[in-house]
This record gives sequence, C-alpha cells and structure tokens, in this order.
Amino acid sequence: MSTLTDSRKRELRRELESIVGPGAVLSDPDELMVYESDGLTLFRALADFVVFPTSAQHVSAVVKLANRENLPFVARGAGTGLSGGCLPTEGGIVVSMMRMNRVLEVDYDNQIAVVEPGLVNLHLSWKVGPRGYYYAPDPSSQQACTIGGNIANNSGGPHTLKYGVTTNHVLGLEVVMPDGEIVWLGGKTREACGYDLAGVFVGSEGTFGIATRIVVRILRKPQAVKTVLAVFDAIDQASAAVSAIIARGLVPAAMEMIDQLTIQAVEDAFSCGYPRDADAALLIELDGLAVGMDVQAERIVEACRESGAREVRTARSEAERQLLWKGRKSAFGAYGRVSPAYMVMDGVIPRTKLPYVLRRVNEIVAASGLRVGNVFHAGDGNLHPNILYDPRKPGEEARVVAAGAEIMKVCADVGGSISGEHGIGLEKADFMPLIFSVADLALMQRLKSAFNPRGLCNPGKVFPTKKSCVEVGPVAYRPHAIEEKGLAQRF
Amino acid sequence: MPDALLQKLRTTVGAANVLTGVELSPYVVEGRTPEAAVFPGSIEEVAAVMVLASEVGSPVAPWGGGTAASVGMPAGRAGLVVVLSRLGRLLDHEPGDLTATVEAGMTVETFQAALGRRGQWLSLDPPDADRATVGGVLATNACGPRRHLYGTARDLLIGVTVVTADGSVVKGGGKVVKNVAGYDLPKLFIGSYGTLGVIVEATVKLRPLPEQEELVRVRFDRLKDAGAAVRAVAASDLIPNAVELLDGAAAVGAGLAAGSPPGGVLVVGFDGVREQVDWQRAELARLTGPLGGRDVRPLDAAAWSRLTPAARTAFPTPAATMALAVLPSQVAETMEQGAGIARGRGLSSAWAAHAGVGVVRGALASDPAPKDPAALAAVLAEWRELARAGGGHANLEWAPLAVKSQIAVWDDPGAAGRIMERIKAQLDPRNILNPGRFVAGI
Repeated sequence: MSTLTDSRKRELRRELESIVGPGAVLSDPDELMVYESDGLTLFRALADFVVFPTSAQHVSAVVKLANRENLPFVARGAGTGLSGGCLPTEGGIVVSMMRMNRVLEVDYDNQIAVVEPGLVNLHLSWKVGPRGYYYAPDPSSQQACTIGGNIANNSGGPHTLKYGVTTNHVLGLEVVMPDGEIVWLGGKTREACGYDLAGVFVGSEGTFGIATRIVVRILRKPQAVKTVLAVFDAIDQASAAVSAIIARGLVPAAMEMIDQLTIQAVEDAFSCGYPRDADAALLIELDGLAVGMDVQAERIVEACRESGAREVRTARSEAERQLLWKGRKSAFGAYGRVSPAYMVMDGVIPRTKLPYVLRRVNEIVAASGLRVGNVFHAGDGNLHPNILYDPRKPGEEARVVAAGAEIMKVCADVGGSISGEHGIGLEKADFMPLIFSVADLALMQRLKSAFNPRGLCNPGKVFPTKKSCVEVGPVAYRPHAIEEKGLAQRF
Repeated sequence: MPDALLQKLRTTVGAANVLTGVELSPYVVEGRTPEAAVFPGSIEEVAAVMVLASEVGSPVAPWGGGTAASVGMPAGRAGLVVVLSRLGRLLDHEPGDLTATVEAGMTVETFQAALGRRGQWLSLDPPDADRATVGGVLATNACGPRRHLYGTARDLLIGVTVVTADGSVVKGGGKVVKNVAGYDLPKLFIGSYGTLGVIVEATVKLRPLPEQEELVRVRFDRLKDAGAAVRAVAASDLIPNAVELLDGAAAVGAGLAAGSPPGGVLVVGFDGVREQVDWQRAELARLTGPLGGRDVRPLDAAAWSRLTPAARTAFPTPAATMALAVLPSQVAETMEQGAGIARGRGLSSAWAAHAGVGVVRGALASDPAPKDPAALAAVLAEWRELARAGGGHANLEWAPLAVKSQIAVWDDPGAAGRIMERIKAQLDPRNILNPGRFVAGI
C-alpha cells in the first residue's frame, strides 16, 4: 500500500542505488510482482522497492533510510515460507538477502560455520559434507530455502525429532537492528553473555531485525543409518506404533507418517514402492553408532508389528533408503497429480492425541466436501494436513480456509499449538488468541517494542489485528510467478 | 518495611507464610538481610505478592533452593524474598508425549525421581540437585556434564509460566515439543536470574532413561595431551554424553585420581545399550593411547555430580571461582594459561571444564590468603581477558563482595547490552526484580 508519489519514488530509488548499486534495486511493478507473495499464495502485497544488499553495511544503510522516510521494510530469503511472513503488507522495502549467500568460515575443530543469511540450507551440508559433517535442520524445502529464512521461522524438518529445530543449532547472529545499528547477539561460544538474545531472535519472524551473519553448529555425520518402512491397514495402528516406539525408550532420528491418499499420489508420480492399498505408512529412521543399531531396529520392528503393522521393511541399501525418503519428500509435489491445488496446514499436538486428532481432521475436511492428504512428522506430533481443492470452483477456497481454522481449533483444544514450523506470519495472526491470553500477547508486544520500537520492521505479522488492509486478504489461487517459471514448487 | 504492607502480605499468603526478623537468617545474602520472606502457595498468590511489591516499589528476589543466591551483585536495598517452595507439585507427566509440567519450586532431585519411576528423565544434571529447584535451575541456566550431548535448559524448556513485575501471569511456549507460535519466551527467561519475572511453572521435554551409562577416566601426564584427546574424541565416531577435562588439582580434589596429581584427566561419559557403551570405551582407549592417555578405567556413578564443581572443591574454601566460555579447541590452553596467570601472582588455582562445549571453570585458592582483594581481582581480570582474547567471555561465579566491588561479576555484553536494558525496562519498568544483580547493571 504505497504512499509514495512517483517522483519521490524515483528519488528514493536513486538513493537506494547509491547504497546497494545500480543493478540491485527493483521498483518496476512487473518486477516487484515476483515478490508479492511467498509459498502461501493466498496473500499478496506489493512493495515499493526490492533491494539486494551484499553486506551488513548495505542492510544498515537501507534500514536507516527506511527509518528516515518512515517506510516499513521486511527481509526476504527464498520466499518459500508458508505463512505470508515476508510479505510487504504496508508497502515499503523488501530487503532480499539472496545475494548474501556465502559460507564465510567453517571451523571443523569447533564444529561451527559462519554463514550469510541467503545461503540455501542444503548448500551448507554440501559444503561441509566432504569432511564428514552436515547441518542438521532439514526443512522439506531445504533445496531452496535459506538459513536466514529458517532463522525467522525457527524451521524444523523430519530429523528434528532427535536433533531439534533451528534454534538448537544457532549460537550467534550479527543483526541489523530495526534502527540500523549492527549488533552481535550471542557469538561462537556455547554460553550467552546476559539474556539469550540469539535464542529470542530465532523464530521472531523477521520482526526483531535482519540477520546478516549466522553462527551455526555443524554435526558429524552418524556412523550408521537404518531406515524402516512400516505398513498399516488402519491409520490408528500407525498412531499406536508411534507411541509404542516411544514407550520402548527409543528416540528415532525421524518418524514420519504418510496416509493412503498421499501414498497413492506418490506412487502415481514416482513409484517409490509404498503399497497402494495401505491405510498408512510410517517411515522411521535410526542413526548413530553402527554397534547396537540392529538391536534398536529389532525393537522398532517389534513395536510396529505389535501395533498391527502388516509389513515392516528395512532398507537394505542406500539406494533403497533414498527411494523410501523420496516417497516422503516428494509428497507435496505429488499432490499436484491428484488435485489442481492444495493448502498445507501446520499444527502440533501431543503425540498421544494423534488418533483422535487425525479422525477429527478427516471429519472436518469431509464435512467441507473436500479431500485431505496427511504427511507429517508423527514423532513430534507436527501435523501437516494438505487440503486438496480446485480454486476455479467458486467457494472452495473459502471452505479450505474455514476447515483450516477448525483444524487449528482442534489442535489448540487438545493442548497443542497452531504452528510447528511454518510460523504465524499473516496467515495465523488472528488464531493467536486460541493459545495465548491477552497478557501473554501483551508481554510479547513489549518484547517486540524493545527490539523494534517504531514497528517499521516487518509490520502486521504475528499479532492479531482488526485492522483491514484492502490489498491483503484471501484471493483466488494462481500459481506464484516462480512456480510458473518452474523455479520452485510448494513444499 | 511499612507495617501496612506486611499486614497485606500476611493476609494474602497467610501469617505463617511470612517470615521476618531472626527467621530470615537462611535468606541473608552477602550479609544483607531482606525485610521479609514470603511463601506463596499458588500462582495467584505469587501474582498478588508482586502487585503489592510493585505498588510500593519494593525489590523482590525470587528464591528456589538458594543454591545460586550469591551469584551476581546483591540488591542495593532490602526487599522481599519470594520463596517458591510451596509450589512444588508435578502437574502432569505423560510418558507417551515425553513431556512433563512441573511447578517451579520442586527440587530437581524430586522431579527426576518421579520421572524415573516411569523410565524417563529431564536430561539436565545441575549441581546440588537435592536443593536446586526447577525454577532456580532455569533462572540461572544451571547444567552439568551431560549438556555435551543433551544441551542446556534452552534445548529442553518448551513452555514457561511467569509472574511479571506487575503481577501479570504470562505463558510462553506451550506443552508440545515443537512449537513456533509467538515469540520464544522460554528462551528469554532462561538465565535471566530473576530479573524479568518469577518463574512459577515449566513444561519440559523428556528423554527415556538410557539402559546403560558409564563414566570413563583417562590419565595424562600433560594437560596439553588431554586437550588433544578432547579434539580427537570430537572428530571421531564416538557419541559421548559428557567430555570433561580436569587439571591435576581438580581431579585429585574430586577424587578422580589417586596418588600423585596427573597433568590432566579426561573423563568421558557414554550411554546407550550395553554393546554401545562397551564399544565406545574400547574406542576411547584406542584413540587416546597414542596421545599419551593411560590407565583408562570406569568411574563410580557417584563421580558424575563431582565433575561440575571440581574446580571449586579442589580447595576447602576457594577465594573465587570464574566460569569462562571459550571455543572447545581452546580449553586446555585456557586452563594452562589461567593457571600460569595465578602462579605469576603467587596463587594456586584449579581447573575443570565441560571441554566439549568450551565451558571452563577456574578456582583460586585462598591459601596463602591474599590480604588484598585487589590481588584476587587482578588475576580474575586477566582470566577474563584470556577468554575475551579468543572471542569468549567470563563471569564470576563466586567471590567475596570485596572482590566483586573491584571487578564486574558479569562480562560486558557489548552493544547487545542496550537491547537487554530495553527488555528489562519493558518488562520491569519500576526495576523491582533483583535490581542491579545482573549483567549491564540490570
């Protein structure tokens, strides 16, 4: 929602170019459209400018200019977010971090790496892989999403069951504060000095400042990995198996559930060897020492069989393992074969409530006259119901949104959360009162004021608002520009 | 303290739950006696007490087991001690969810015992677990050797309920193991030393108890070689749950080495199924042998709790202890140089480290006792410089007030200190929660 006159916009463009260079500012509406939404194409908003800084000094100067002009600004990574968190809801400046994508330092002795925020998540593991290391947080979009974006959303992934989410792997950050000051929060050592500001910054959805350097832990690759596929005739049995495995004192590296609709979509698309008639499958991965691995795998197999698994299969080679994971990781792409569009939900529940909540999810979606595919991190109770729909049919999208709201309410009612890894952003801001009281939200606002007193840094996110903004709101689905160009898919 | 306030406190929590006068002796810190100690019996009572305190601007010191009460600077003016011991219930433990919710005043030992009966534990092993409370451990970010594998409170706390200075009851996080809704308030309160709110309830992630666990000790003639062994372990396939390095004085003091003090002792913990522990013990011997490691042997389980305080317990009454955060690769060198600095000023010191994560503790002997606190402060200042030179920092864990008045307890957080001040001003605008105790004068 730009308030700038054309002539003022031209002046500011020249000034921004003097900061970041002539090839690093966009202000033409056609070019800006690429940045009007993230992976959740439901929401769109146009910025006045997109800039591509290559240093913290650039970012600081841009932020200071924004402050002077009272313009809002928001950092953006690869744009794979799923909650509208990086949208310029009130116009202003999108600060794209994509040209700050270097690995600045790898210290193998201390198992840390210093990276720029625009670095693609998987590229860090590629960089340190030859020396036997990897970066543990592995969101499904890791081939495209950036570590800076992961910081904003505190991203997870399948292997976070054992290894934790982004925040557990970040030691420190260099941050351009919302007033333009460059500050280090945390550092390379494991202990914070004073309040754990790095811990508070991670997951603040871009509202506390813009990270320009990030110190992350890298881990030694495990000596051995074992991947098991358990097949069930009833989804309740698969849920029971999750609890049975936990009850046996086992903590697998990953424990993913895939339901029938998803299995069939995946098999149609990729033939990964999942039985098409199964009601659900669990993909379970153990990693760690080679010794003792078989003992633990046997216990997993036992727990699955006792829960009613009709078949339990262990990958016998790396190729077989990759194929099983392909079924899981390409599930989102496969939905495209069975439906013109789908919307990914993200909610968390206590593991023990899985059977009840999965039943409720299916009932809610069925009552809306729609279909749902479930593929999710069962081990930590992080659901991803994917509601399939046809955006060309009038009213379907509204029904999806309504069903999504009901599902969030179910998650909240069983003591869960409205987001496990996608963030609140724009999408869920109005759901926050489902799990937080007025006092809880007031304290979060105070914390925000300490970092971002003028509110120019990524406004309109996280907190519920009654304020309406005509340019932002549910609109009919159309593929995002980068999807159309085949540059990305929705994960 | 005005009688009217005392009367209101008695009405709020019951007269038996307000201590004054000589009854306050357990709550005297650095020779300073609070005006009253209050024992609220519910979250609502904590909130009511905070409202009363904030009305009159009385300082409040939240109190768990008192095991870290002397860390930091004492309050400049006397106020209330709010003791959480009556909030000591386990509220919820669902083994299938690997989570538990507990009131802040329960001791860590009691909590672990309850979890253990159902085969689980909170993978946090702070010292003084028989007295330290869950709330206190969170507020001081206390931990122990097993942090090497399992992390610290920031990796385990998934939800927290806090009473803020104005008496609001505020929740952050939730009860599920994965949650990104809203800001990460649990991180804010961990290690905040009671300066932002009174922690009253916590929800934590749990782990299954390991089937087997073993501590293994390796002796070295030279500390430097033990340091090289730490690096070799880190670069190996081993998955230890603890990697501790002690100098001779700390090892002898902690009963981990008999006879003449070794140059250094490496203590490594392993857990898992039997085969895994056995394989790792053998692998450790294989890795450390060529580096000068010898006399590899398992330690008694009682040794676990002696590791974290090993530097301090090397002396009957140490003159001061400091915790230095450095890069793991710098640990052995930091210990050697730190000892050299002390020796240069005629003082002996003892050193122990959570070596794998770069947390080093040095203790200064009081014998021969330096007459001048300035001499102690000078050594501590040099230790701090040592940590800072490698990009780390150092905080005083314990020292007499006379020393603390000559060297800052907390290291300088740099530009981030201003953000911390702003957070404090937002959450506690009247500055009543542990005023002046923490970093940056907070």
